[in-house]
Amino acid sequence: MAGLQLDRPEQRRRQWLTALAFVIAAALLLYLPRPAQASLGNALRTSILAPFVELNGALSRARARAADFDVLRAQMDSALALLAAQRTLAEENRQLRGLLELRGRDRSRLIAATVLRSGTAGAESAFTLDVGAVQGVVPFAPVLTEHGILGVVAEVRENHSLAIDWSHPEFRVSAMTADGESHGLVEAARGRFREQDRLILQGADFLSDIAPGAEVVTSGRGGVFPRGVLIGWAGEVAGTSSGWSKSYYVIPAVAPGAVSHALVELPRPVGGSAGEGGAPRPGGSGSSP
Amino acid sequence: MTNLTRAVLALLVLSHLFLHVGMGFGHGAPDLFLVAALVAGRLSQVGVAAGLGFGLGLLEDAFSVLSFGSNAFALAVTGIAASRSRDLFVGDSVLFLFFYFLVGKWVRDLLAWLVSDAMVRDSFVQHLLVDAPLAGVYAAAAGIAVVTLLRTQPGSWE
Repeated sequence: MAGLQLDRPEQRRRQWLTALAFVIAAALLLYLPRPAQASLGNALRTSILAPFVELNGALSRARARAADFDVLRAQMDSALALLAAQRTLAEENRQLRGLLELRGRDRSRLIAATVLRSGTAGAESAFTLDVGAVQGVVPFAPVLTEHGILGVVAEVRENHSLAIDWSHPEFRVSAMTADGESHGLVEAARGRFREQDRLILQGADFLSDIAPGAEVVTSGRGGVFPRGVLIGWAGEVAGTSSGWSKSYYVIPAVAPGAVSHALVELPRPVGGSAGEGGAPRPGGSGSSP
Repeated sequence: MTNLTRAVLALLVLSHLFLHVGMGFGHGAPDLFLVAALVAGRLSQVGVAAGLGFGLGLLEDAFSVLSFGSNAFALAVTGIAASRSRDLFVGDSVLFLFFYFLVGKWVRDLLAWLVSDAMVRDSFVQHLLVDAPLAGVYAAAAGIAVVTLLRTQPGSWE
């Protein structure tokens, strides 16, 4: 091309050294400790990329606002009906707990968040939430939708958080069937193509026989996810492990790409048991004792 | 590099950020960072091409949770290769440009795939045999349009 004659060897050498320095810097980025990578990513997101992230959030909120009024009305009616049906149940529960001298259950604290998805390479299973440390979000806070579990917060910044959805290879949740008969650990199972991604319930009893279509909900073990949130529905047996355990495919309840709005569960205040029941769990019919 | 070239490169970068970060289009929008790196690579010296690729890749990595740095590495190396390609391959036909952008995209995706965490990356078949060629054709279409625009002003491309 015109104007690119590099006649002088030292100039050519300087160019190659500069290029080499950039390649080494890029290679070093790969091996930076995770917190340093996170800080660098955050610095970019809150500076150069901030206007584009804002735009993404505004579009996401506008999409949510444009949802059909009738659909929203129907959802609210269903929620009110559920609430009315559970009112007596909560009272009954409180009386029984009183008789058994059990302490009151902690009330869950959920905050609404807009889900921002970047279309950049390498960010397929991650998303940004427009709530952060200021709103009380902490790392490993569960991210839920009205249909069930979406993912978990990975990184928290002042006013936003980075989260991973269930298709991320690091996602894990302790699970059980809705009847409480079978327990295990649910993790992502990559398909040959990303569209075939699903979940897999590992470590169920070898003698378990989970019927296809049975609800799989969070068991609450480990303390990260609340108990009773819908994860998905059991599918066929994925494999057995030397006569000790079985694994089942799980059809996820939530399609991560379609979510524009989610709820983040905040940590419960220390020692703060706020009476009975708590908010109804997303995903509906989980067996929350 | 003329002012038109600089303006087009800036527009490519902004368009990529608008479409991918602002609008959230993934594969729905072409990889304009790559087009910018390949165009700049043909027109600039190797150090500049590597620096541009590194910077653009770093922006792309800002949303990556487990493969941070893979895009910076891939685009920096692709920029160098694009700059070197000037001495190795000569051609201005549409067919040449098509394969230049197609192969550039495939190589960029291959490099990013190679250095990504094995746990996070897609399968080889999906990423490099299905997604990358399709994305390459998309990038090639965008790249040819960009070069056609640059050719309207003498000295901006040739």
